[in-house]
Amino acid sequence: MELHAAQFPFLSTLLLFCIASLGLVLVLPKNSNTAVKWVSAVCSGATLALALFLFAAYDRELGGMQFVEQYRWIPALGISCIHGIDGFAAPMLLLTGIVFFTGVLTMWHLKHRVKEFFALFILLVTGVYGMFMALDLFFIFVWFDVSLLPMYLLIVIWGSTLREYGAMKLTLYLLFGSALILPGIVYLVSVSGLDTFSLPALAQKGVFSGFEQKVAFFLFYVGFGILAGVWPFHTWSPPGHVAAPTAVSMLHAGVLMKIGAFGILRVGMFLCPQGWVHWAPLMAVLATIGIVYGALVGLRQTDLKFVIGYSSVSHMGIVGLGFATMTVDGINGAVFQMFAHGVMTALFFSAVGHFYDQTHTRQIGELGGLCRVMPVAGSYFILAALAGIGVPCLASFWAELLVFIGAFRVYPVLAIISLGVLVINALFILRVVEKTCFGPMAVHWAHLQDVTFGMAIPRAVLAAAIVIFGLMPFLMYEVIQTATIPLINGLNSLAGQTAADSINTLLSQWMSRLP
Amino acid sequence: MTNWTLFIPELYSLGAAGVFFLFCLCRPDSRRDYGAAMILSALGLFLTVWSVGFQGSLFEGVYRVDLYSQVFKVLIYCGFFLAVCLCADLSGVDESRHSEFYFLLALCTLAMMLLVSCVHLLAIYIALELSSYSLYVLVYLRRGYQKGLESALKYFIMGAASSALMLFGFALVYGTGQSAYLVDLMRDLPGRINEPVVLIGFILALSGFFFKLAVFPFHFWAPDAYEGAPHQVSAYIATASKVAAIAVLIRIIALSGGQSDRLAWFLIVLSVASMTVGNLAAIAQKDLKRLLAFSSVAHAGYVMIGILSLTALGYASAVFYGMSLLVMKFTCFMVVVKASENGRNISTGDLAGLHYRAPVLALALLLALFGLAGIPPTMGFTAKLLIFTAAMKQGLLWLVIAAMFNVVISLYYYLQILKAAYFIEPEGQPPPIVVSTPLKLAAIAMILLMVAGGVYPGPVIDLAGDMTMGLFP
Repeated sequence: MELHAAQFPFLSTLLLFCIASLGLVLVLPKNSNTAVKWVSAVCSGATLALALFLFAAYDRELGGMQFVEQYRWIPALGISCIHGIDGFAAPMLLLTGIVFFTGVLTMWHLKHRVKEFFALFILLVTGVYGMFMALDLFFIFVWFDVSLLPMYLLIVIWGSTLREYGAMKLTLYLLFGSALILPGIVYLVSVSGLDTFSLPALAQKGVFSGFEQKVAFFLFYVGFGILAGVWPFHTWSPPGHVAAPTAVSMLHAGVLMKIGAFGILRVGMFLCPQGWVHWAPLMAVLATIGIVYGALVGLRQTDLKFVIGYSSVSHMGIVGLGFATMTVDGINGAVFQMFAHGVMTALFFSAVGHFYDQTHTRQIGELGGLCRVMPVAGSYFILAALAGIGVPCLASFWAELLVFIGAFRVYPVLAIISLGVLVINALFILRVVEKTCFGPMAVHWAHLQDVTFGMAIPRAVLAAAIVIFGLMPFLMYEVIQTATIPLINGLNSLAGQTAADSINTLLSQWMSRLP
Repeated sequence: MTNWTLFIPELYSLGAAGVFFLFCLCRPDSRRDYGAAMILSALGLFLTVWSVGFQGSLFEGVYRVDLYSQVFKVLIYCGFFLAVCLCADLSGVDESRHSEFYFLLALCTLAMMLLVSCVHLLAIYIALELSSYSLYVLVYLRRGYQKGLESALKYFIMGAASSALMLFGFALVYGTGQSAYLVDLMRDLPGRINEPVVLIGFILALSGFFFKLAVFPFHFWAPDAYEGAPHQVSAYIATASKVAAIAVLIRIIALSGGQSDRLAWFLIVLSVASMTVGNLAAIAQKDLKRLLAFSSVAHAGYVMIGILSLTALGYASAVFYGMSLLVMKFTCFMVVVKASENGRNISTGDLAGLHYRAPVLALALLLALFGLAGIPPTMGFTAKLLIFTAAMKQGLLWLVIAAMFNVVISLYYYLQILKAAYFIEPEGQPPPIVVSTPLKLAAIAMILLMVAGGVYPGPVIDLAGDMTMGLFP
C-alpha cells in the first residue's frame, strides 16, 4: 500500500467541517429550526463539493493511498490517526456526500424535534465519512460505531411502522456485528506483536499465519457482513428500512450498508488475504443465497419500502459475490455496485417517501395511476426502478455486468442461478411500477401534490449521478481500478501464480479505449 | 521514625468525620450539615490531589504511600465529594439523621483511603471491615422504606459471611507464607501459588473483595442494597466503594506473580459468570437502581478480565476501567437523584420526557449509558479496549468474544433507558427538573470527561500504567 502525503489536509477538513456543523447545530437556540436546516444544508453541500473535488483530484496514474495525513493519537497503545483514500474510498466519499446532501434537502419539511434530528443526522454522517477515510483500526471501529448508534434514536423518534421493534432489532444486530469486529481487531493487533493499530503498518510488516488470518477474516466477514446485509444476518434490514424516516432510510440503505461491505474490503481483504481465499467459497454461496432470497421474498411484499428493503439484500448480495470472485472484474464491479446501489436506493426511498407523505400509505394495492397526478415524482420512481433492475446506460448495469463477468469465470453455477432470479425480480419490479404509477387511479388521490421545485433538487442530483455514471462508467471504473489491481496482484503473488489473465480482462481493455 | 506528613489526608478525613460527630451531638440542622459536608469534602479533595506525589512507608511497613494508593485516594475522595454534591436534596434520609449520614460517609471514606494503602493482611482486614460497617448502617438510613431492613440485613449477612471466608483465607496464606506483610508474601507466594493450600487460601482471601465488587457469587446483596439505600448511598457504593475494591483486589492478585493458570481459570469462570448473570438479570429489572446494581455485577465481570490477565497491562487497564466506572455510574445516579421526587425509587418509565425536562442531564445519561455499554467514542469504550487488549495478549480470544456478546446483551436494557429518556412521552405534564447551577456544571464536567476519555485518553492511560508499575518492586 503506497502512501502519498497530502499537500493540504483535505480529509481532516472534511471531518472537522462536519464536527463544527454538529457543534453549531447543538448550540443554536431551541426554536431556530430554519437556521438548523440551513447549517445542515451548507454543511452537506460543502462536504459534497469537497468529496467531489477529492474524487476528481484523485490521481489515477499514481494510485495507492492519496491525501494521506498522519497524527499521533495514543502512543501508549500504538494508536495514531491516519486518513487517506484509495480507489475504493474515493467513490464511497462521493456517495456519502451525495446521499448526505440529498437527505438533508429531503427532510426540509420536518417539523418535529428538528434540531435533534439534524444533530443526529450529521453525527451519523460524520461517522460514515470517518469510516471511509480512516486507516487506523481503532478509528475504523470508532467511526463504525459512531455511525450506527444515532440510528436507534433516529428511527425510534422519527420513524413509522413498528419503529420500536425495528430500531431495537437493527441496533442489536449491528452491535452484535461490532461485537465480532472488535475482538478481531484486537486479535490481529496482538498477534502481530507490532503494538500498532495502523492499517498500512500491519499490512506491510505484519506477518500472520494462515490460521490467524482465517479466524480474523471470519470475524470481520460476519461482523461487517451483518451491516452489509449478508444472508442470514440480513433480517434487521427490511424492518429497519421500513421503520426509518425517509432520509434515514436513504442514508441507511444508501451508505450504511456500504460501510459493512467496505469494512470487509478494507480490513478483511487487505489484512487477511489468506483468510479471504479460504472463506471465498462460503462468501459466494451466502451471497448467492442473499441474491435469490432477497429477490424472491421481495416478490411477496405489498409495502413499497419492504420491496426496496429486500431488493437491497439482493443487491448487496451482488457486492458479496463480486468480493468472492477474487478477480479484478469482480471487485471492480462490487465497488461500483456499492456506489450505484447507494445512489439508486436513495432515489428509490426518496421517491417512495414522497408518495407516502402525500398518500399516507405504502401499500402497492392501494396506489395506482400516480404518474397522472405527480409526473415528476413518478418519473424519479421509475428511473430508480429501472436502475434497480440493471437497465443498460444506468450505473447499476455496469456494476452488475462486471460482477457477473467475474462470477461466470469462478462460480459459473452460482452466477447462472443469480442471473435467472434477477430476471424474475426485474419482471416483478416492473409490475410494481405499473401498479403504482400507471393504471386506474383512485378518485381520492386526485388532489395530490407533485414535488415542488425545491424538493426536486435532491432527486435530480441522485438521478444525475445514476445517469452520468451509467453513460460514462469509466469515470468510476478508472478510479476503482487503481486500488483493485494492486490488491489482486498481492493475492496472486501470495498464491504463487502470475495469473495475468485475471487482471487484463476483455472488458477492461475495451473500457480503456472509450474516450 | 514515622513521617506524619504522609498521613495528612487520612488525618484530615478523620478530622472531618469528627466534625460531623460533633454535629450529631448538636441540634439537627440539615443546611449546616450540607454546607459543612460540601466544604470539607471539597477541601479534602484538594488535599488528596496535593498529596499525589507522596512516597513512603508508615507504621513499620504496614502502610505504604505511593502513586498507586494516592491516586486511588483521589478517586475515592472524588466519589465522596460527588456523592455529597447529590445531597442538596437529601429527602431519602430523616432530617434528624443527616449528621449521622455525613459522619458515616466520611468514616467510610477514611476507611477506604486506609484500605488502598495497607500492605499488611490484618490492616487490610480492619480497614475493609470499617468501611463495610459504615455502609451497613448507611444502607439502613433510608426513611420510610419498608424493605430497608431487609436490604441492610442481607448486606450485613453477606458481608459478614464473606469476611469470614476472607479471614480464613488470610490465615491459610499467613500459615504458608509465615508473614502478613505483602512485601514478604510477594517474595514467597509466586513460587508456591499452585500448591493446593496456597491456592485455596489465596482464593478465599479474595472473597472479601469480590463481595465489595459484587462479583458472582458474592453479588446477591447488590440489587437489594442499591434498591433499599438512599440514592446518594447507592451512588457512593457504586462509585467510591467499587474503586476501592478494584484497588485492593489488584494489589492482592498481583501477589500471585502472574504465574498461575489455575488461578487465572478460576477468575475467568467468575468473570464470565458475573457478566452473564448481571446482564441477563438486569434485562428483567423495572426499578432503575436494581438495574444499575445488576449492571455493576456485569461490570465487575469486565474488570475481572483486566485483572485476570495477571500482567501489568491488565492491572493498568483495570485501574482505567475503575476510573471510567466512577464517572459513568455517578452520572447515572445523578440522573436518578434528580428525576426522583422526595427520594422515592424510580422505574425506567419515570425518565419519560427527560430530554426536555432536563436536556443536559439527558445528554449526560446518554453518554454514560453508551459508555457503560462500551460504545465509542466514550471513556467506557477505551476502558473495554484496554482490558480486551490485555486479555488478548494472553491469548484469550474466546473470552473477549464472550465479553462482547455480553456487551450486546447489556445494550438492550441501556437502550430501554435511553428510549424512555428520549422517546416516551410522559403522562400528564410533569414540570421541568430544576437542576442547580453547580450540578449542571458537574453534569457538563462528566460529559467532557466521558468524551475526553474516549477521544484522547492517552494521559490517563499513562497514569494508570505508572500507578501499577509500583506494584512490582
